[in-house]
Amino acid sequence: MMTPETWSTGIWPYLALILFGFLPSEIWRFLSIFIAHGVDEKSEVLEWVRAVATALLAGVVANILLTPAGALASVPLMARCAALALGLTVFALTRRSVVAGVATGEAAIILAAWWFAP
Amino acid sequence: MQPPPERPGEPTTAKLDDTAVQPHFHWALKGFLVAARLPIFVMAFTFLGVGSLAREAGVPLGVALLSTLTIWAGPAQVIYFGALINGVALPAIALSISLSSVRLLPMCVSLLPMLRRAGTSRIAVVYLAHNVAVTAWAESIRAIRDIPHNRRIAWFIGLTHSLVIAACISTYVGYALAGALPHAFAAGLLFITPIYFIAALARNAREPIDWIAMSSGLVLAPLLKGVVGAGLDLLVIGLAGGTLAWGWQKRLRARAAGETAR
Repeated sequence: MMTPETWSTGIWPYLALILFGFLPSEIWRFLSIFIAHGVDEKSEVLEWVRAVATALLAGVVANILLTPAGALASVPLMARCAALALGLTVFALTRRSVVAGVATGEAAIILAAWWFAP
Repeated sequence: MQPPPERPGEPTTAKLDDTAVQPHFHWALKGFLVAARLPIFVMAFTFLGVGSLAREAGVPLGVALLSTLTIWAGPAQVIYFGALINGVALPAIALSISLSSVRLLPMCVSLLPMLRRAGTSRIAVVYLAHNVAVTAWAESIRAIRDIPHNRRIAWFIGLTHSLVIAACISTYVGYALAGALPHAFAAGLLFITPIYFIAALARNAREPIDWIAMSSGLVLAPLLKGVVGAGLDLLVIGLAGGTLAWGWQKRLRARAAGETAR
């Protein structure tokens, strides 16, 4: 019944996206409005919430490095970590230039992908 | 001469200096210029990947574009189309998307109080929250403090709407190019998310709490892999890492206060 095949024609793929993609994701943005309501900009709780968001995002990064999807999986784990470390090193050496860090990390991963799985 | 308040009856909480009375459009343009520095290109590359994945999943182009406009969270879209390709049942897809988007909650809660003002309508707040995604959050959570209070929404909308437009164009291009991308380039597209996220977090880090939260997230993720049930690990990482960083910072501050008192 609830397989992707029955949802793949006409209006159904759009409805499926809204019901099973958009709403389950948007619920968190919607809930946040009620939680943030009445929280002052200078509240100390915000510092904790920001720390939780930062740790969560760092966790997302680690998860992508550990279990990547598609073409990135063809690059060995060590090379993925090395490319990230290289990018961060250049970032630190260039007085926190995100552009330089991202460009270096990207160059490293593309070279690695070309080397390991041409 | 005091400049007149924007709307009558609105509390003038913000400092009304010279910059604060420049038109909203001026600040929206400044938001766009922040996006044009790098984030717009990060979006463009990320959503090339999303578009080509959507094509592989066999959905119409409209669904690919609608996913960018509605879900507006790259990793969740990758999960959605990836799961469709693997034939995962739709309710199971919904669950994993919801678990991956938990991060939007602390992101919105930390940003919204700095954006909205006393006069901001509920609908406007809903729309602002919808625009929050990792890139928009990482670019504004620090920078927004330097924007005059009554121009923050204009600045934020200028920033996020440039990102949304770039993402939509790129979703379309990715959908059209699917399969034609060289392998090494495809790997590069998928790597842009982790390298940009971590560099943006590091750029925003000023105090010990930021560094501790960041490194505990990186360390806890491999440790909790397989220990905590699928998807829930991120929730645990966020709460444990964030609380640890917050408590540590409190201890450091208390110690510093104790030393100066002595």
